[in-house]
Amino acid sequence: VSPSGGTGALAQWVLLELQGEVEPRQSGDLAGSLLGDLHYTCEGVPVLIVGHHILYGKVVQLEKPFAVLVKQGGASQPSPVGPHSHYTVTALIKTKLLFKTRPKPIITHVPRKV
Amino acid sequence: AAMRSRAEVDATLQTAKLNPAELLPVVHCLSFGPQAGGGECCLLQLEPGLCAELEAGRSLIIRGEKDEHAVLCSKDKTYDMKIADTSNMLLFVPGCKTPEELKADQASCNIIHSQIAGFSKNYWELRRCRPKLKKLRKLLMEDPYEGPDSQKDQASTFSKYTTEDLLNLIQASEEEILHQLQVIDACKIEGYWRILDFDYEMKLLNHVTQLIDSESWPLSKVPLCACLEELGSLEPREMIEHILLSYGRKYVDDGEVFFEMHEDKICRAVAQMLLQNAVKFNLSEFEEVWKQSVPEGMTTRLDQLQGLALVDRSSRPETIFLLKVEDLPEDNQERFNSLFGIREKWTEVDITPYIQDLCAEKQTVGALLTKYARSSMLNGVKVYNSRRPIS
Repeated sequence: VSPSGGTGALAQWVLLELQGEVEPRQSGDLAGSLLGDLHYTCEGVPVLIVGHHILYGKVVQLEKPFAVLVKQGGASQPSPVGPHSHYTVTALIKTKLLFKTRPKPIITHVPRKV
Repeated sequence: AAMRSRAEVDATLQTAKLNPAELLPVVHCLSFGPQAGGGECCLLQLEPGLCAELEAGRSLIIRGEKDEHAVLCSKDKTYDMKIADTSNMLLFVPGCKTPEELKADQASCNIIHSQIAGFSKNYWELRRCRPKLKKLRKLLMEDPYEGPDSQKDQASTFSKYTTEDLLNLIQASEEEILHQLQVIDACKIEGYWRILDFDYEMKLLNHVTQLIDSESWPLSKVPLCACLEELGSLEPREMIEHILLSYGRKYVDDGEVFFEMHEDKICRAVAQMLLQNAVKFNLSEFEEVWKQSVPEGMTTRLDQLQGLALVDRSSRPETIFLLKVEDLPEDNQERFNSLFGIREKWTEVDITPYIQDLCAEKQTVGALLTKYARSSMLNGVKVYNSRRPIS
């Protein structure tokens, strides 16, 4: 598990913690699809709009930070006494946005038929 | 997929009936990156100190063969790895800013397109553990060094291990491994770590102790040069120096190198030499022979044999037999099972040398006994026995 690259500090990412599952709206691949918009109130409360839901959360400084590990491709150098896979630390996560409150559904105003 | 525009974001805010005036001007539009669903990324929860090590550019190594539980090693510590499940979804987002960062940053843009790098419902949890060093001894015992005259080495088909080999095979940090090599008196011969065959080790020790005796040197001041000169024709100089290092403390006095011999360690080695020849010995006979076998000027005491031999005071006559802690299982429960298989009831004094090495960072022998044994009184003395029936 090595810090990636030699140049400069490790990247700092943020963790988003959501209740339940994350499902793509389309049945296809998750890659490229939108999750939603993340806003912050002036007081710093994170607000996430996902589909028809509004989620309110809070910013949490992690007591125990996380390292994000990326597996290095398969058996690049087969050796009799080697570890099985090599991981690289891509980033550190010291902050998380925790969304624990139940999402508030957005009720779209249905225009009346005139 | 087309990226969201500010206009689209504002429209969503309107539909959601959120007042833009109450929000910071910057929005993050989150989408899933191209690798997001691949499962290539995973999360590792860091114990105190590890974050700083990574930020300082140092590596952490995950070690473990197929049949071993993986451990994570820093430069000097070892941790067990365990998967922790959460009921929540954890998404990791690069380039996502916190409110403080946004307020501090006078950026002109008001929209950030962030790509979620990955997500997971679980993460790796770490727990500091004892380094798994028993394997180190096992590997080096595959082919103990019997001396330069040994026929074995020439035609050796056994594996020999370099430092690099050991780092790959042993589930412990580098510092813990190097420290243990010192503790077990391993030495490097032609680039490979070797442990001495006990008989060869005793042969070397005997050369030294006989020389000390014939030269009447004080045990606390044995000169290296003279040893090498006198014994150099009998054994390789590196081996002479190695045995002095193993059984003495090196120091310099007035530019010359001397050794202060470890009386306890020498007496202990002599005892092992005597005890390994039989299943058990009459205690008083052993004590007499032992006393006469140690070098002139050395005093034998039974407490020198802690973790090496066990005295049975319940047998008539009293006996003593070899029981080496390093031959016992490394796992806590297995160790206790093994000890209770050898003897049903133990006093704390007797069992301590055989469980001391199991203590975790701040754990006491007492805590171990509470967990793995049951206590009772026997003839006014507190004894410990197994919690479960031993077959």
